[in-house]
Amino acid sequence: MPLFFTRGHQWLSFSPLQAFSRLVTFLILLTLADNAVADTYKEKLDLQPLSGQFLLASFNFQSHGPIEAFNKQMFQLFPRSLGQILQYTHTRELHLRFALGRWDSELWGAQPGDGQNAGGTGVETWAWVEADNDVEAEARWTSLNNALSGLFCASLNFIDSTRTIRPVMSFNPTGDYPTTNTSRLFLLHGSLPKEPVCTENLTPFLKLLPCKGKSGISTLLDGHKLFDASFQSMSIDVRPICSPNTGTCDIEIQQTVDMVLDISRSLQRRDSPVPRPRDQHELICDTSKPYASNEYCYPMDNSIDLPWSLSDLFGRTISGGCPFAVHNPAEEIPHVCIHAPESKLNTMETGEFAVSALAEGQRDLQCYMLRENVPFDISFPKQQPPISPLRQEPLLYAERSFTGHGQEHGGVKTVLRNPNPNDAIDVVYLESLPWFMKPYLHTFKARLLPAQNPEEDVISELYYRPALDRKRGTQLEAKLTVPPNSVVILTYDFEKAVLRYTEYPPDANRGFDVASAIITIPPQRRRSDGKQITTTSIRTTSLLLSLPTPDFSMPYNVIIFTSTIMALAFGSIFNLLVRRFVAVDEVQRMDLKAKIRGLIPRLKKGKTE
Amino acid sequence: MDRKCLLVIGAGVLIRLVLFTAFPSLPTILAQRVEISTPVTSYKRLQEGIYLYTHGVSPYDGGVFHQAPLLLSLFSILPPSTIVTNLLYVLADIFSAISLVQIASSGVPTVTPHHVSPRKANSWPPWAIAAAFLFNPFTIATCIARPTIVFTNTIILHAIAAAVNGRRGPAFVSIAMATYLSLYPILLLPPLLFLTYDSLKPISKPSIQAFSAISVIMLSVVLMVYFKLSHLITGSWEFIASTYGVHLLLPDLTPNVGLWWYFFIEMFDSFRAFFLCLFQLHLLIYVPSVCLRLRKQPLFALITLIGICSIFKSYPAIGDTGLYLSLLMLYNHTFPLMRYTFFLAAAILYATFLGPAFYYLWVYAGSGNANFFYAITLVWSIFNALIVADAIYAVLRDEHETERPELIGKDVVQI
Repeated sequence: MPLFFTRGHQWLSFSPLQAFSRLVTFLILLTLADNAVADTYKEKLDLQPLSGQFLLASFNFQSHGPIEAFNKQMFQLFPRSLGQILQYTHTRELHLRFALGRWDSELWGAQPGDGQNAGGTGVETWAWVEADNDVEAEARWTSLNNALSGLFCASLNFIDSTRTIRPVMSFNPTGDYPTTNTSRLFLLHGSLPKEPVCTENLTPFLKLLPCKGKSGISTLLDGHKLFDASFQSMSIDVRPICSPNTGTCDIEIQQTVDMVLDISRSLQRRDSPVPRPRDQHELICDTSKPYASNEYCYPMDNSIDLPWSLSDLFGRTISGGCPFAVHNPAEEIPHVCIHAPESKLNTMETGEFAVSALAEGQRDLQCYMLRENVPFDISFPKQQPPISPLRQEPLLYAERSFTGHGQEHGGVKTVLRNPNPNDAIDVVYLESLPWFMKPYLHTFKARLLPAQNPEEDVISELYYRPALDRKRGTQLEAKLTVPPNSVVILTYDFEKAVLRYTEYPPDANRGFDVASAIITIPPQRRRSDGKQITTTSIRTTSLLLSLPTPDFSMPYNVIIFTSTIMALAFGSIFNLLVRRFVAVDEVQRMDLKAKIRGLIPRLKKGKTE
Repeated sequence: MDRKCLLVIGAGVLIRLVLFTAFPSLPTILAQRVEISTPVTSYKRLQEGIYLYTHGVSPYDGGVFHQAPLLLSLFSILPPSTIVTNLLYVLADIFSAISLVQIASSGVPTVTPHHVSPRKANSWPPWAIAAAFLFNPFTIATCIARPTIVFTNTIILHAIAAAVNGRRGPAFVSIAMATYLSLYPILLLPPLLFLTYDSLKPISKPSIQAFSAISVIMLSVVLMVYFKLSHLITGSWEFIASTYGVHLLLPDLTPNVGLWWYFFIEMFDSFRAFFLCLFQLHLLIYVPSVCLRLRKQPLFALITLIGICSIFKSYPAIGDTGLYLSLLMLYNHTFPLMRYTFFLAAAILYATFLGPAFYYLWVYAGSGNANFFYAITLVWSIFNALIVADAIYAVLRDEHETERPELIGKDVVQI
């Protein structure tokens, strides 16, 4: 009872102080509200029809805020949950990627945003962590991954020392660090190629947005549609940006979602949720085939562009603009853009949103502004013949695959093709391999097709950090030049390790995922036309490595069998070593009968006692 | 060294050269066989180590290369041509054969200061011993696959040849080298001590204690020199953990003909350290007992320990068994006393043919599982152990008959 009283007394005595502190907080907030320009936010949806009935939808959400407020933990639009993690772990720059599917560059061309927003299959993350030394950086990196793991419901906590690499040539900081000593910044990179990206990663992703998916273009992001896409990639980038004129620094968070929708699949999903074959009258047959008749149909692809609207593809319309993005007096930035000629678009409900002025520069670009609380939709009518979409040739085509057979040895083959007829291109090739895949660097070869005369080495620099069993994975980084209109084939052999049976995942025979190779094209100037190429990233697909498996049901049997063999060997050798030879007739050999006869009197004796 | 020996050695060289030149892909194929190349001897891993070493990356800061630094410098000095490398391996086998001829010519297998075999007239001539080594398919396959175990074997044989001739210095420098290359030859030190001591000229013989102490000191000094040289070559001490730690702790569980790999794949994590200690101690425990019991014939004690190591060491290969079987031929005169000769020979053939087949079924065809190959390694190990045991039986029986010649040809029992 006295205790209770004391506590009550304390509360009373401290209450004026608390009231004062609340007042101060209120005043600070008031001053912040005066500088309402502090945080800016913009969002944009880019729709681009791709060849082969695909639609690329690129969502981009970006917010800026002064870094002083961020450092004082005063968050306006910057998500507090993420901000506190970054501050606690001294992370200066963070890049996080979730990706599923493969970007088909043969069909779709170059990746949006020069591939800067795309990640390898699964989860990939890299960050610049400020620390005094390597050990501290490693510790902060671990706690960063653990915290992000909880925030994004992803297995990021499994990025341990075996999955962490320190790239040397591939990554450069994208932020500005005028005050930080760059020798204190440590770059760490980790990837989880096996991670299945799904709705539970999307929900926390949307929670970071100021409108939390309730309004604005983010309303279109529905897990069922996003993860049904042929390719999807979510990214989060946090970096400091400093203005060179004023010297003030901002913290920028940029979230993007790129998805490639298969239009016919999405429409079919809408029409019949249970998949079933298309009716014959719906099929468009290629009548030029000799066997074409009423009975046989050779279906023709891409003969028409199917009609679609946003609500068809995404299951809903955009429910008005996000207030933070709409009230942006500084500049008129359109929220939704579509790459298609205006004449081809159905303008039935888009009239009041259109921003014609912006579209002047590019003839086939239509842009729209969203209004608060006014739903928005675009519809795209059936096009016959299909409009041929703009396809930008990628700078480089990259493919990687396994060679060899069996579960003992193997090889990796990467094919890099430069489609440009005039210019050579410099690339940095990075591989992060798990420790149980042991590459032989002496077999690492680069072959050039067509062969050049005289033979010159395409690899100019090589950085290699070999794997250590159960401690560290392999890191291989090579700087090479792909000559114009030619192919470079990188090959190497590797050995598959056998693991302890506890190190195999439950589905051991499925295999182990090997993270995508990261191909970075550093900024360079083309020699023929002098055009500047910005940093571009390309990722290959991840690989599935099958390892030899032991019999998982056998631990006891193996222990027993092996021990028996050892005991048998030990027994037979020591039996010979410790006993001496005598002739057969020298020893009294007792047969069984005599033994029993000898035993009976002894037993009797025992009884009587 | 008579004409027959030279002929045999010439034929052995010819076979190897023909195999190297007529089948250029054979070395690569054999080098990838798990029965021949182990993670601590593999030629492909050696090449990787040399590549990393010559390009300025420490090969010991990685999980692939686990061989001694002096090998690394030897191969990086050699011109990078396969012919030179192949010739080096052939040369190693020639030296091994010459050492075997020396051992056989010394007569130590039949006559020691404590024991003279009643069957000494039946022992094979030196050229036959060399032939048994040079034409042994295990040895030939090992030479063609070029694992570094070839050098260890040559050095062990050289140590024995020096010991039987009473040349103490070369014997202990060699055994130190063999230990340096692959650790387990250190177990051969006690019998080698006895063997050298017995072969010394009786005029200036020190006491066995003094002799042992001096020899052990000499061995440690030589080992230190090797380690210091390695340190100079690689610039750090991390080679010790990477080379000998692998022998002791078995981080690489690549299949081989031994018993360890599957056992430690399936072992529960909490017992791993315990069983590692147990397996190492198991090897150690044979040393004193074999040396004491076979004190009269230290050469045989040494051969027996080589045989036991070839079964129970952490990364055995058929090259070890080949060495043991060739050395066993020195005791050919006791073979009539062995009890299960045919049975054991058949079992070894059985394991030799089924091993690769079962490995193929597991790793390539996918129609078998790991137990197939494991079962064959069990068969291989147990029958090798029985060969060791049966050879001990024959030699002990031979010894016994020296003591009691009246029992020749009679049945005996052990009590």
